[in-house]
Amino acid sequence: MIDCLLEAEIPALIQGASGRTGRQHLRLMQRYGTRIVGGVSARAELREIEGVPVFANCREAVAATGARASVLMVPALSVLAALTEAVEAGIELVVTVTEGVPVHDAMKALGIARAHGATWIGASTPGIAIPGRLKLGFLPDVALAPGSLGMMSKSGTLSYEVGHRLVQRGLGQTLWVGVGGDLVKGTRFADLVPLFARHAPTRGIVVIGEIGGTEEEELAEALAANRIAKPVFALLAGSHAPEGVMMGHAGAMIYGNRGSFASKRAALEAAGAQVYTTMDDLVRGIASDPNLLEQ
Amino acid sequence: MMLLEHDAKELLARCGLAAPEGVWIEHAAELDRLALPPAPWMVKAQVPVGGRGKAGAIWPVATVAEAKAEVERLLGSRVLGHPVRACRLETRTAFVHEAYLSLIIDPLAAGVRVVVSAAGGIDVEQSADAMKNALAPPDEAGVREAAQSLARELPESHRGAVAAALAAAATAFFRYEALLVEINPLFIRADGSWLIGDAKLAVDVNALARQPEIRSLIEAKARAYPEAALKVRDGFDYVELDPEGTIGLLTTGAGLSMKLIDELIGKGERPINFVDVRTGELRGDPARLVRILDKLSRAPRLRVLLVNIFAGITDLGEFAALLVRALEAVPLFDVPIVARLVGRGAGEVQAQLRGARLPIVIEPDLDRAVAKTAEIAAGRGALA
Repeated sequence: MIDCLLEAEIPALIQGASGRTGRQHLRLMQRYGTRIVGGVSARAELREIEGVPVFANCREAVAATGARASVLMVPALSVLAALTEAVEAGIELVVTVTEGVPVHDAMKALGIARAHGATWIGASTPGIAIPGRLKLGFLPDVALAPGSLGMMSKSGTLSYEVGHRLVQRGLGQTLWVGVGGDLVKGTRFADLVPLFARHAPTRGIVVIGEIGGTEEEELAEALAANRIAKPVFALLAGSHAPEGVMMGHAGAMIYGNRGSFASKRAALEAAGAQVYTTMDDLVRGIASDPNLLEQ
Repeated sequence: MMLLEHDAKELLARCGLAAPEGVWIEHAAELDRLALPPAPWMVKAQVPVGGRGKAGAIWPVATVAEAKAEVERLLGSRVLGHPVRACRLETRTAFVHEAYLSLIIDPLAAGVRVVVSAAGGIDVEQSADAMKNALAPPDEAGVREAAQSLARELPESHRGAVAAALAAAATAFFRYEALLVEINPLFIRADGSWLIGDAKLAVDVNALARQPEIRSLIEAKARAYPEAALKVRDGFDYVELDPEGTIGLLTTGAGLSMKLIDELIGKGERPINFVDVRTGELRGDPARLVRILDKLSRAPRLRVLLVNIFAGITDLGEFAALLVRALEAVPLFDVPIVARLVGRGAGEVQAQLRGARLPIVIEPDLDRAVAKTAEIAAGRGALA
């Protein structure tokens, strides 16, 4: 169930906890307030990292700790196996932060996550956050603050920049979901619409999209289908990207007219969203809505 | 990434998808030296994009002299925004029918979409009614099964050829971890035999570590695939956008870098490149920064470098020290720098940059950094 994204107290594991990155992020997430209940590492001699018990596999970790979420800090070619292990152990929410997961692996992982009824955020995402309470992944603190906006983004850095500017103007977030820039991903923009629609504290939705794929077009359909009464503010990247060339994100490659900037803009505007081309215009647009500022 | 037609055809032939005979040409003079396939030919500009026919990038020729003239016209030109670095000279094929077939990842369904049409050619995508499609699970057996049942819906004249081509395409799709295999047109001859007229093969750069055939192709043709070759060799993304541009970019993050380029071009500026440095991967080694500065130093109209790093984890003091070392290693790089750095250790940056041999201005606000960069690029501003 996607509603687990709103659970600030969800008990979480770190898979790949003994690696350099795994340890560092375990500590940072814990300090932020996330309830990290265990680590998973194939290194048998490790019993504990940062005061958290370490287990040989997810099944043992879930049995001992009751973990329901897991953040995967494993190499790109190991993500499929680690995700499979997590959902087979009963993990409900999997966040994968590794860059460069092969698309065919992501395609298989999505089928497996769905078959187990698990929510997957990834393949490559900075993660999710409920500002001030939970961070699964590594969204930067300077971009986070409690507030009234629901954030969804394909890009990490562009969302950090926007989040940072909004926070400077006193506009924070209820829930921030980095869906990632991959072609095949666990959770898409449209999947988040019903969640934000019924979540009363969320008074506006910010979408950071980009060229490639059809996710923004699907989002537009979902906005219309859910009769969203909350304002939706979208920023799209890639208006000047050459066709057929990949600009860092695998999902940002366009085949012909599919996924073009113009198509996304038209679809979102028709669904009632405000679409901006510059970060400054987006931030001004959001800041001009008095209902979104803290009361 | 989309492979060039010539390379796609070579890879697909290994899976049983034969194409008309063709050769790769990088200089018109090669037409005198190479063993050419039987005439008459088509000269086809090798750019990774559809719509080449309509853009005048595919042309029939009958003699070597005509071929030379056509190759000379195309090489070095730009087709649909892409520089033409090579052409394929291919034997023209007689056929009685054309067909369309493709396999493409369906990201929503977590499967493979199989598409066929008994009509092929340049406008087939516009006639969506003629297209039949089916969703297959993400494995070769499943795709073959879906392909065979789709092929049975086609007229008898097309059925056998399309079924055989689809089966081979399914093999190729999984062997190369393709995102897209598209054959349009498939030439079907009077005796029922077939050849692939044009082919699109999009492959996954994230799978290159376990795709030796594609990796060696990219390494062997680094000039034709500059971005992918760089990614294979150095592990990061760099795309040259405008060789005549004035603003070099040293930025991190795909989305923010892309947006920055949008905003610069929107203001009438000319950024030279897209890059995603990934500061978290530098680990104390300036080599990646050296490569970027070295490339930019070769841009003839470079006026200014804009550095934008929004770091979640990276220590900016360490990054600034690496930048200074990289600048020392590239003496040819000689333009002023506008740096915008946000994140951990931002207070250390100024001290680290004091030793730099070029003027650097630190501007914490991105919009003001962009404005300063534009001033310098226009030759109006100077660094205080």
